[in-house]
Amino acid sequence: MTTLGIAGLQTQARSWRQRVRQLVWRLAPGDLDRIVLRHSRIYILPTPRGAALLATLATMLLTAMNYALSLGFALTFLVGGMVAAALLATFRNMAGLAVAPLGAGEAFAGGDLEFNLSLASGSRQRIGITVAGRQGLPNSVDLAPGATRPIAISIPAPKRGHLGLGRISLSSDFPFGIWRAWAYVHFPLTGTVFPAPEAGAPPLPPGHHGSYVGRSSRLADTELAGLRDYERGDAQNRIAWKAVARGAGWYSKQFEGTGGGGVLELHWVELPVGIDTETGLSRFTAWILSAERAALPFSLHIPGTVLRTGQGAGHRRAALTALAVFPPASAR
Amino acid sequence: MIRRHPSPPLTPVQVAWLGALLASAQWPLWSHLLIWNAVAGAALVVARVALPPKWRALTGHRRWLLPLLALAAALGIRTELGYFLARDPCVQFLYLLVGIKFIEARDARDGTLLICLALFLSLTQFFYLQTITAALSAVPVLLALGGTLASLRSGIAAAASDWRAQLGATTRLILQGVPIAALLFLIFPRLAGPLWGSPTETGARSGLSDSMRPGSISELSLSDAVAFRVDFNGSPPPQAQRYWRGPVLSRFDGHEWRAVYKLLPGRFVSRQVRPIEYTVTLEPHGKAWLFALEHPSGLPRSPTGDPLAPTSNDIAYLTYDQQLVAKAAVAQAIRYTQRSSLRDSYPGTDDNPRESLQLPLGNPRTLAFAKELRGRVDSDRAYVRAVLDWFHNEPFVYTLSPPLIEQEPVDGFLFDSRRGFCEHYAGAFTLLLRAAGIPARVVTGYQGGEMNPDGDYMIVRQSDAHAWAETLLDGQWQRFDPTAAVAPSRIERGLGAALPAGELVPYFARLEMTWIKSLRLRWDAVNYQWQRGVVGFNLERQRDLLRDFGFEGARPWQIVAVFAGAIFIWGVLLLGAAQLRRSGVDAEVALWNALCRRLARSGLARAPEEGPLAYTRRAGRRWPQWAGVLARIGQRYAELHYGPGDPKREQKLKELKTGIEALPRSRTLNKASRSANVVTAPPETIE
Repeated sequence: MTTLGIAGLQTQARSWRQRVRQLVWRLAPGDLDRIVLRHSRIYILPTPRGAALLATLATMLLTAMNYALSLGFALTFLVGGMVAAALLATFRNMAGLAVAPLGAGEAFAGGDLEFNLSLASGSRQRIGITVAGRQGLPNSVDLAPGATRPIAISIPAPKRGHLGLGRISLSSDFPFGIWRAWAYVHFPLTGTVFPAPEAGAPPLPPGHHGSYVGRSSRLADTELAGLRDYERGDAQNRIAWKAVARGAGWYSKQFEGTGGGGVLELHWVELPVGIDTETGLSRFTAWILSAERAALPFSLHIPGTVLRTGQGAGHRRAALTALAVFPPASAR
Repeated sequence: MIRRHPSPPLTPVQVAWLGALLASAQWPLWSHLLIWNAVAGAALVVARVALPPKWRALTGHRRWLLPLLALAAALGIRTELGYFLARDPCVQFLYLLVGIKFIEARDARDGTLLICLALFLSLTQFFYLQTITAALSAVPVLLALGGTLASLRSGIAAAASDWRAQLGATTRLILQGVPIAALLFLIFPRLAGPLWGSPTETGARSGLSDSMRPGSISELSLSDAVAFRVDFNGSPPPQAQRYWRGPVLSRFDGHEWRAVYKLLPGRFVSRQVRPIEYTVTLEPHGKAWLFALEHPSGLPRSPTGDPLAPTSNDIAYLTYDQQLVAKAAVAQAIRYTQRSSLRDSYPGTDDNPRESLQLPLGNPRTLAFAKELRGRVDSDRAYVRAVLDWFHNEPFVYTLSPPLIEQEPVDGFLFDSRRGFCEHYAGAFTLLLRAAGIPARVVTGYQGGEMNPDGDYMIVRQSDAHAWAETLLDGQWQRFDPTAAVAPSRIERGLGAALPAGELVPYFARLEMTWIKSLRLRWDAVNYQWQRGVVGFNLERQRDLLRDFGFEGARPWQIVAVFAGAIFIWGVLLLGAAQLRRSGVDAEVALWNALCRRLARSGLARAPEEGPLAYTRRAGRRWPQWAGVLARIGQRYAELHYGPGDPKREQKLKELKTGIEALPRSRTLNKASRSANVVTAPPETIE
């Protein structure tokens, strides 16, 4: 019983400490929606230039004290008052600023993953607001009163998988560069990093079940067979745009030979023996991109995931995402 | 962002702002510097701003050039002033150093250093002058400081044409900081003495010295500078009695009179004559003595201190020869309240009278004349009378420009030139008395003073400097003024009345009252208030202020607490209370929520998933006569809250507000709808 009690206390203490840590550092993605920056979130410290100025003021104060210079006091305190007013101005520049998550982009490993946020200035003009992620170049903007504008943060994505935006900081040293105000915001924004396409990947493998036919019939793709109702996932270049423009509705063009047996099947088991997983994923990525360029439907069979034959942006994304998160959580 | 990278190079705009800052910090110092230094420092600043970059490249390739220049300047200052590690040479060097540093400044970090140096440099002008004009000359420094900081922050983005807007923004911040500055000025603890070293400086200041030779006082009399100002507690005494006692000189070497310092305490004159009380504001003169009307009847005390405890904060003591000597040299303007009994004699103490009989070699004609004259009268007192009569009857001339006599100056003056200023008369008179065996000495100080009609106080100027004599007769030191025997109007009406026509009289010593003189007197009155209220704000004044506000004996933490509270109020006022709300909602949301609450009270609550357009439409069906208003409210709210940023946002907010205010209160709303005989609609489906 005693042990339990102590354990309970410790848990409570830790959670209390964790709560404070979260309030101070925002290490967990706890900001679910639009955040309006208020004093509880905004920190202010002097910049190096501000520290130098404060040190100078201290020296001036000592001098005025030693020589009993009333006007020396006056000058020091006037500059001090200006510095204090600048602190408030720096705070005002940040307070009331609203930041909201818009979405995360996609990237291939080795590239930059772009996250989109929206900044709203509220009723005040905002000057020199710098938004910075953990890594990558910060982005600095000015906002007119009442303005809302998107802002992109690029974060290097070296590895495939999910990549969170992580904690970002919004900061500004307006107006004098002697105070820097900043706030941490941590949105649960996560983007997907696809495997990097293998450079110099082998050509597309021959398809199963008459994939040669498929390839040959793909050559005859130019022959329009007819229209069918548009389905989500159909490739954009297959949409009958003329019909859409006429207002006749959404249709997809059917070509001779597509949708038949001539499909590309990407099977994990048919990769060369001894190839390592990452290279295999990269090769699949390269093949999927080639298939997409060639407007070739494909299916994907990797351990834990099977994607039936399909094509279009949605299908491609699903396939690349499956590769990005391989092995899937269920198979792990 | 840029912090980890090397500091960015200075842009032309930044250089221009830095130049303005440095120049405005430099120019108030001009008159206190060595000429070559003043010119060189300013020229360097101008050169950096004005010269094309290729000229500056000269120094860039020769990095040793500027340190060498600085070293040469330091040596030059050392040679001219004779010392280096003291306040004045350091100010001189700093003045030049900012110019040198500016020439070679490359990046923003150099800019930071220059800002700090310039700021400190602008403080140093107050070592020399703390007048109103000196204070005003610091204003450009503040303005340029703001501009420089802003330009260094924004880098290249700041356009040069923005300087006016920048000045406006800086002014606003300065004004916002003024309450803090004023509060700090009043409550920041002042020290009774210096933290390190002595703040006195060896710089020559005009004023009396502890020696007197022919010409020293007449030289001083040419100056209009203020020696001290006096507030009388009551009416001021007549001019002929205004003898402000200063250094007493007893030793004579034939040319020069010198003070003798002895550690003998003095005795105050009895208060048989009712003492008068007055407060002196003494300009710094770098020496220890204080001035009081003859003769002081008590020690000077702090003007605001408790009158019942005159020794609680005594600042001076009285010597055996009735001089008031401060405990430290008067390096800043000080104020003290003094009491004096207006008498022309005081009891001789038991000090050795022999030093008041000391006679140098030389001046034989004077000595012979004294012996001869003394033989003709029967008493010391009659002899003194006879000497004064002799001065009066012989053709002596009172003049500011007597001839200089190298050999036996007293003989030459008394028997040949007969032209002299007060130091000649006082010195010769004293010597004549000593030659007859009567103890006598020279007293210097000021005689007279002018009431300022604009401030009801008295100004005593250096042109009022005077010398007289006192002699020990019947156990009393008795004042005699030989100048009065020659030129009585000097004592009665001042220097301007006493000097013969055609002599160059200092402006303020002249008798006529021109409008320029009256204007300058008015300016002096303003300056005097400034000296008393601002410059003279010291430990005592601070204590009194705290007492007046009920903080007598307040502990430091209490004062700190009051200050913190004031800072908090200041911040809240400046930020507006809205900034301090814990979780802020946008203005339109607040208005919308108010509307929803009101409609809910009227019986039509908004469903959680209901949007603004749907909700207002539903409300419009319930209260048809308000349907139009409600629809507009919903429309505006949707635009404001969900729409993109809108330049007409403020206007739309106002529309939203007026729309909501136009709706009647909930009870009236329902009554109005009943009277309109509208059947309350059944619960409607949500669109």
